[in-house]
Amino acid sequence: MGGTACRMSRKCFGLSGAATTPSELRTLVAALSVALLVSAALVSASARASSPVAGQSRIISLHETGRLHLTNKRGFVLNEVGTASGPIRGRIYIHLKIVSTNRVTAEVNIYPSDGSLTGYATAAYRVAGPTASFTGTMSIVRGTGAYRRAHGSGLGFTGTIARSNDAVTVSVTGKLST
Amino acid sequence: MRRRLWALLPLALTTLLVACCPAIASATIERATLHAGFSPNRLGASTTISFGFHLETAEGLAPPAMTSVELRLPAGINYATTTLGLAICQPQALLARGLAGCSPNSRLGYGSAFVEVPFGVGPGTEIPEIQALMGPPRNGNVVVLFYANGLTPVFAQLVFSGEVLPDSRPFGSQLTTEVPTVPSIPDGPDVSIVSAQSTIGPSHLTYYRHRHGHVVPFHPVGVSVPEHCPHGGFPFAAQFGFQDGSSASASTYVPCPARRKR
Repeated sequence: MGGTACRMSRKCFGLSGAATTPSELRTLVAALSVALLVSAALVSASARASSPVAGQSRIISLHETGRLHLTNKRGFVLNEVGTASGPIRGRIYIHLKIVSTNRVTAEVNIYPSDGSLTGYATAAYRVAGPTASFTGTMSIVRGTGAYRRAHGSGLGFTGTIARSNDAVTVSVTGKLST
Repeated sequence: MRRRLWALLPLALTTLLVACCPAIASATIERATLHAGFSPNRLGASTTISFGFHLETAEGLAPPAMTSVELRLPAGINYATTTLGLAICQPQALLARGLAGCSPNSRLGYGSAFVEVPFGVGPGTEIPEIQALMGPPRNGNVVVLFYANGLTPVFAQLVFSGEVLPDSRPFGSQLTTEVPTVPSIPDGPDVSIVSAQSTIGPSHLTYYRHRHGHVVPFHPVGVSVPEHCPHGGFPFAAQFGFQDGSSASASTYVPCPARRKR
């Protein structure tokens, strides 16, 4: 529009009010366009960098609690399902294997709404009348969705088993990197 | 002359001891036999384990007083399934009140023993009542309390405990028990255990639970027979320790169950 006006009147005004030739005006417009593009690119990059899902790792302090009930027993393995509450909420599945009179191993899967987490645990196991308990450590080995880069080791892994119905409570504590 | 007689006294006493008490003087137990069984003997099934032993010297006499026994159980016995020992029995309560001092839900099994009192007090006698109960765990391990109720001629109510520990293949666990000695007469030698048998399992046991305001009896679920039977059968073994420092061992196999016809 300005270019057309300049061509018609043969005289144009720059941003400072000083008269400019059409060639000077074209140079000025080109420079402004480049500046705008660079600014837009910088703003976009900055926005990407501040997003939590943009590749920067974050640390989650876990203090998960799960309450589970038995779905079935296969040999030495108790298969349990329930609900996890804490910073990560969702369905939780545990395959608890009694490997000796005083040790258990477990595979733990948690399914929050935005992904999943899988971990493995080993723990000391003791029977005390109506309740058996376990205390050990857990490692998060993989995840999906928002937790696809999840990893963590040396997490606290404790819980109890009600021996009358094999209901399990479990607690996972520690730092998780995603 | 008198001095010479005093010098001979230790030798004379030793000779007398060997002549009178071969069971104590003997340093080795030549014959230990062990028997064991699963009832029912079906792969993967809830079962009652029975075990027993018989001990004698090479001369066929009663052994010295037993101080320990380790019973080794085959690998693959499933402890994950059992509801045995849903209550814990405190040893003090058991000693004070007998079986009435503990919940029926703490009972694990029962048995008997045959003991002999040295020095010819009489023939051997049976202790008809030995109960196995779930004790308070020790070092995170399951503890089995044995309660022996001896009447005549051995008046003794004894409580001793065994600890269930992991074991190496072909065994999966062992029940390690320290056995207290029982004096036969004041200042006399200790009673010899010649044989004993016991069960660990739900057979003849009734537990109770509260349901809808009522006490309902039920049968607990036992440990499970291993899912696979090794060639030659399920191995059991036992090691016995005695007061004189000697030891004996024995082993046996429970035959593999017959395959079911399809």
